[in-house]
Amino acid sequence: MDVASKIVLPLLQLIVIVGLAPLVKGFINKIEARFQNRRGPSIFQPYYNLIKLLRKDAVVSETASWIFRATPYVTFISILIIALLVPVLSSTVPANFTGDVILIIYLFALGRFFLALSSLDTGSAFGGMGGMREMMVSTMAEPALMLSVFTVSLATGSTNLGNITSTMVDQSTILLNPSLFLAFAALAIVIIAEAGRIPVDNPFTHLELTMIHEGMILEFSGRYLALIEWASSMKLLLLLTILVNTFLPWGIASDMTFPAMLISFALYVVKIGFFAFLIVILEMSFAKLRIFRVPNLLGTALVLSILAIISLYVVG
Amino acid sequence: MAEHLFIISIILFAAGSLFALCFYGWQRVGNYISLIFAAIASCFGIATAVVVLSGGSPVHIDFHLLLPIIKYNFLLDPLSAYFILTISVISFVACIYSLGYINLYVGKRDIRFLGFIYNLFLLSMLLVVSANNAFVFMIVWELMTFLSYFLVIFEHENPANRKAGLMYIIMAHIGSGLLAIAFFIMFTYAGSFSFDDFRQVASQIPAVYKNIIFFLVLVGFGIKAGIFPLHLWLPMAHPAAPSNVSMIMSGVMIKTAIYGFIRFYFEFVTPCPPWWGVIILIFGAASALLGILYALQERDIKTMLAYSSVENIGIILIGIGLSMIFRSYNLMALSSLAMIAGLYHLINHAVFKCLLFGCAGNIYYSTHTKNIEELGGLIKRLQVTAPLFLVGALAISAIPPLNGFMSEWLIFQSLLNGFNIPSVLIKIETIICGAVVALTGALVATCFIRAFGISFLALPRTEHAKHAKEVPVIMYVSMGLLAGLCVFMGIFPARIMMTVNHVSSHLVGINIIKSITAYDWMQTKIVQTNFTGISPKSAAVFGLMLLAITFGVLTAIRPRFARRFYETWTCGISPEPRLEFTGAAFSRPFAVIFKGILRPTLDVAKVYSVPNFFVKSMTYVGGVTSIFESYLYTPVSNFVLKASDRVRWIHTGNIHVYLAYIFVTLIILIMFFR
Repeated sequence: MDVASKIVLPLLQLIVIVGLAPLVKGFINKIEARFQNRRGPSIFQPYYNLIKLLRKDAVVSETASWIFRATPYVTFISILIIALLVPVLSSTVPANFTGDVILIIYLFALGRFFLALSSLDTGSAFGGMGGMREMMVSTMAEPALMLSVFTVSLATGSTNLGNITSTMVDQSTILLNPSLFLAFAALAIVIIAEAGRIPVDNPFTHLELTMIHEGMILEFSGRYLALIEWASSMKLLLLLTILVNTFLPWGIASDMTFPAMLISFALYVVKIGFFAFLIVILEMSFAKLRIFRVPNLLGTALVLSILAIISLYVVG
Repeated sequence: MAEHLFIISIILFAAGSLFALCFYGWQRVGNYISLIFAAIASCFGIATAVVVLSGGSPVHIDFHLLLPIIKYNFLLDPLSAYFILTISVISFVACIYSLGYINLYVGKRDIRFLGFIYNLFLLSMLLVVSANNAFVFMIVWELMTFLSYFLVIFEHENPANRKAGLMYIIMAHIGSGLLAIAFFIMFTYAGSFSFDDFRQVASQIPAVYKNIIFFLVLVGFGIKAGIFPLHLWLPMAHPAAPSNVSMIMSGVMIKTAIYGFIRFYFEFVTPCPPWWGVIILIFGAASALLGILYALQERDIKTMLAYSSVENIGIILIGIGLSMIFRSYNLMALSSLAMIAGLYHLINHAVFKCLLFGCAGNIYYSTHTKNIEELGGLIKRLQVTAPLFLVGALAISAIPPLNGFMSEWLIFQSLLNGFNIPSVLIKIETIICGAVVALTGALVATCFIRAFGISFLALPRTEHAKHAKEVPVIMYVSMGLLAGLCVFMGIFPARIMMTVNHVSSHLVGINIIKSITAYDWMQTKIVQTNFTGISPKSAAVFGLMLLAITFGVLTAIRPRFARRFYETWTCGISPEPRLEFTGAAFSRPFAVIFKGILRPTLDVAKVYSVPNFFVKSMTYVGGVTSIFESYLYTPVSNFVLKASDRVRWIHTGNIHVYLAYIFVTLIILIMFFR
């Protein structure tokens, strides 16, 4: 791979992730509205919201400190770095050497750390409640996440997402391994929880009794809110990308030719659209769980991922 | 070279301790002089370690002092040098920190004693990790225990501190007793107390005795390390000591036990069967998880930090245990990797735990409370301490690009490599350990978000917190050094791993540094394993670049971005500290989720102004039960008390009866050992 593609490809990844993330959110909202017999906002509504917010000044709580003002940047940047490390259009990831999936998991933790801190920073009880719940859900999700990642890593011999994807493409029989099905199921549950979708969290509500993620970001406004909203939609897209390009990598470009990239992009959009549609179906058919039922759901994911590992070792 | 530096360091520590005693009238001056001596001595300690680690061969030092029969043997090999390095770095910073912290006691109590003991305590730790003779080791080990005991009960007018000290000294001596037995078993085979002979006799010891030694050492050093369920003294004693002492105790003293583990299991009783490593792994995982669960429920910031030390010891032990397992299956390269992971985490933990204890000390210095529920809003009052505490919190939560992340990453990589182990059961266990480490990592983050968020953010909850002032410069400058180290050790891991590699290659006998570090396209070192490579430095550089771009774009969109400040919306009333989220509420869900272990208690008492209708006041008392204390320790101590009650009748108080006892004992002994 020449130097040009080393620079072009990361930029392309960034543009796709940053550019498409609000669209995924708009798509989910639109379809969901259709299912509820509403016309719903335009599919591009999240972009309008972001542009509006970016043009505004911000109101900041008097109680808040510099942590509150740094949080949006930290969250946004940590997600952008992840966007460099995840294979999006091509199985070769130029920034591969920077880190692997464990770094990605802990970069998500970095953003979450600051968000939870700033939820306490304003001194309102709602924020703290949201931060506490977010930490609870993500903590309980962590072991299942790590184990399902380990299963994939052990099956492919790498913890590097780019390498995982290319191994999956090269040796497509790996995908028939039953342990990967279990890992997929576990990862899917974890992604629902991490992205804050129903049945774990309801992204549409601002009712203090039910909210998790929205509770944390209640006090942000203007540019700060835009950065956080954008980061959270990118987080959803990135989690879906990891799922898609790890378990269903068919059609992903392995060289840097234009047609290959184009096909890869088209397939990527279709795959992401499919999973977004699945999320809609899921959100339509379930009610939000009681907060103390969530650990049970994540416990299920943990059991699935432990079974995945055991079957990998025992069945081989 | 190394031996001279080491001896100079010893002499400086000893001289420093005497200076503290000399100045009765000017105690502050005496303490300053002794602390500065200790700081210089620590520099010599660092120099010693650097000389040995930079390729010098192991150095023997022998003294013939006091009694000509006992030889005082010391050995500076890479393992000792690595621990000397850790101890010296931390003690250097701690001494500088103490220059400010002792203001808390000047004029209130006699601090000559503090400086005296403090210096000797630091010295005793250096001697523990360099002793090359079981006899000398036991002497300095006991010295370390006693000196730290005196430091724990420094504020002895508080009964809780005296109880903590008592607990500590009893448990530490049970541990010392077991170690003495282990050393005697070794002695019967080696024929001398010298560690050099201990290293040679491993093949002659029958397996049964090896296993006995394994358990004796596990419990003996385990008590000092504070592994579950032997941790009970640790969360009592560490908070009781002054902060400049707790940072030493938590940062480095408990690590001397890890040193003991490595000495025994990698040098004295080799080769070890796989199940030894498995047991260490299980204890490590249990300590990690349970330690952080209790830390999360704690509202005393220093007790919380002490529990978190239990957790980190657990993670270090996971590395060591894994290294033992790999070694017993003859997977030497992996054994070395796991050892590097464990030792890397060891020095990391020393650095950030010392930093966090220092910041907790700063909080106590300026607010006179350690209860996080009484704090709040300190970020606007302790403007330098707050970011320092944040760095420590991020580092301990393994957030990239700080040092905690790198060592946890290495631990994960070693655990993943468990697939090379032939036994399926152990393979699965390493993976379960991975899940435990992941869960622990997330819980640590929660715990430190809570600690930082409740004590530093929002509005001050009490008058103490409201009137807090920043501490003397020297106290935060010294902590700043450690915060810098946290960043440095996280961004340049290859540098640290090259140092640690000297130790692991000395112990395991294989040098893997070539295969775990490589040059990236920027021609700087990255870390790699058979699974992947990582370069936190590049991640940090990318992050800064992206930040610059983001900021540029945002400014282009809205050039005159302004912030308006207004009070937080609290449903129509003015924000008050009473409305803030509390630490107890933040950790409550975890008490509910893990109720099988934590056994949360809840006591709500209501006072009615009109019976059953109008509540006048409510008292809410929540907490967790320590199951080890109630189900393990209390029955044992009750049994001991009862048993001693039973045999009490032999103590008549009559001296003739006692003489008769001695006589009878003598006759029995003569009968048996003619």
